[in-house]
Amino acid sequence: MAPFKGKVAIVSFGEVPTGKFPNRPCLASALESCRQAILDSGIQKDEIDTIIPTGTFYNRRYNTDMVFSKLVEELGLLGRVKTNMQVFAGGSSSSTMLKTAVGLITAGLAKTILCVQSDKTGSAPVQEMIDLFATFGIPEEWETPFGFFMGGCGSIFATRYMYETGATHEQIASVVVSMRKWAALNPNAMLRRELTVEEVLSSKLVATNQTTREGNVLADGGAAFIVTSAERAKDLRNPPVYPLGFGGRVCHYGVSQDKDLTRLGFPEAAKEAYEMAGITAKDIDIAEIYDGYPIYPLITLEGLGICERGEAGQFVLEKNTWPGGKMPMTTNGGMLAQGHTAAGGGFAVLVEAIRQLMGKAGERQVKGAKIAVETSMGGTFMDSHVVVLGRELP
Amino acid sequence: MKGYRKPLPQMSPWSAPFWEGCRNYELLIQKCQDCQAFNFYPKMYCANCLSSNLEWVKASGKGKVYSHMTVYAYQPTEFAHDVPYVVAIVVLDEGVRMMTNIVGCPPEKVQCEMRVEVVFERATEEITLPKFKPAT
Repeated sequence: MAPFKGKVAIVSFGEVPTGKFPNRPCLASALESCRQAILDSGIQKDEIDTIIPTGTFYNRRYNTDMVFSKLVEELGLLGRVKTNMQVFAGGSSSSTMLKTAVGLITAGLAKTILCVQSDKTGSAPVQEMIDLFATFGIPEEWETPFGFFMGGCGSIFATRYMYETGATHEQIASVVVSMRKWAALNPNAMLRRELTVEEVLSSKLVATNQTTREGNVLADGGAAFIVTSAERAKDLRNPPVYPLGFGGRVCHYGVSQDKDLTRLGFPEAAKEAYEMAGITAKDIDIAEIYDGYPIYPLITLEGLGICERGEAGQFVLEKNTWPGGKMPMTTNGGMLAQGHTAAGGGFAVLVEAIRQLMGKAGERQVKGAKIAVETSMGGTFMDSHVVVLGRELP
Repeated sequence: MKGYRKPLPQMSPWSAPFWEGCRNYELLIQKCQDCQAFNFYPKMYCANCLSSNLEWVKASGKGKVYSHMTVYAYQPTEFAHDVPYVVAIVVLDEGVRMMTNIVGCPPEKVQCEMRVEVVFERATEEITLPKFKPAT
């Protein structure tokens, strides 16, 4: 058995609403999220010995503040916190940070870890953010000169996926409909109006098989969660959430170098995570899947073994991922509806998995959920991460 | 050429021969003399065996479209006058993959697995970009 199993637990979370909040400083999003997580856990703040902020894109100075222990000072933990360090993998900072925290606790190198994310890409200067995301992660010498850009990522993946599987654009668009259904139940989400497949398809075409409504909207946001030992978790306020398995594969830096844009690393990552957790796809109650663009949840549903190859689109179109459906998926609405807060998009999906397993998801609570799978991807969908979380002590 | 305003590749010391090849209308890729692997984009060390024993060879210039997209809107600012334009990933017959543009063909005719061949477009005195058109 993996040495961390049964030894580590997530005991609380915090999150501020996602949206455009020009007057809410980024630090306020971080502090509010941390405060919620600390107060909700029942842990004394002095027990926190490690703080891990993830990277922030909107402002290099703020990002450096996070690296240079600003939060330790703000939270009154000077002289108590032993380690402040950044863990940053873009959109997959969620899974990779949890992986790091679990490792540190299992190894006895930390006792209680505060993980936190905050960004403000929604109310930063618009053109600056467009240019930033148009170029970041795109090989400057080999892809940028041909006009490839982050905003078109979904398109080039979707074209190949449709060619190999026969999936339709209508099926891909239905992912947005599912995300909006969940966001309508999420007070922290930005885009809460429900949409039909026709409305998604009739919005302006950005690129082949990708309309405006199939894109994500940049937003401001923040979230946090606390990880500690399973032993300590026993006396705390919330039902603990136990990490059960991790899997991951990095498959490209430049999109052109990926050998299979229709699968990415999900089949291998899922196999690894399931074996570690001792589960199969049939045991999953909720799939908290990273989106970004609607093609990725389809690729992920198939990689996770929830759907057969080429069948994920019809599965989503037939409402199986909606509230009340067979396989509730990305129940916060994902980046397509809760909002894209840079590394926070994935972070929010992980926080949602924790929230659901703790039974604190309010109107959108999936009743009786015991096993959740969380996925994430960073950069131009460079990596595929799968994390299995459970409500019961393994 | 005067007035080319789109982003130009920033060369690294080990990729300079590739761009020199393009200026001479030759598509060059690296071949490792130790493990025989082809490398593209240009690498400092062979990505297969980390050898520094890389030689430049002329590629066939032929391949097929792996995937593609026609860009209609929200493109990078510098490409505003180019929409609609086709971005594609081409797999060369040597097995290496590259991002490029498909030209000389209406966008709606571009398809996955379509055979293509290289065509060179001069951007500036220094830079000529390798693009692809349907194979003749």
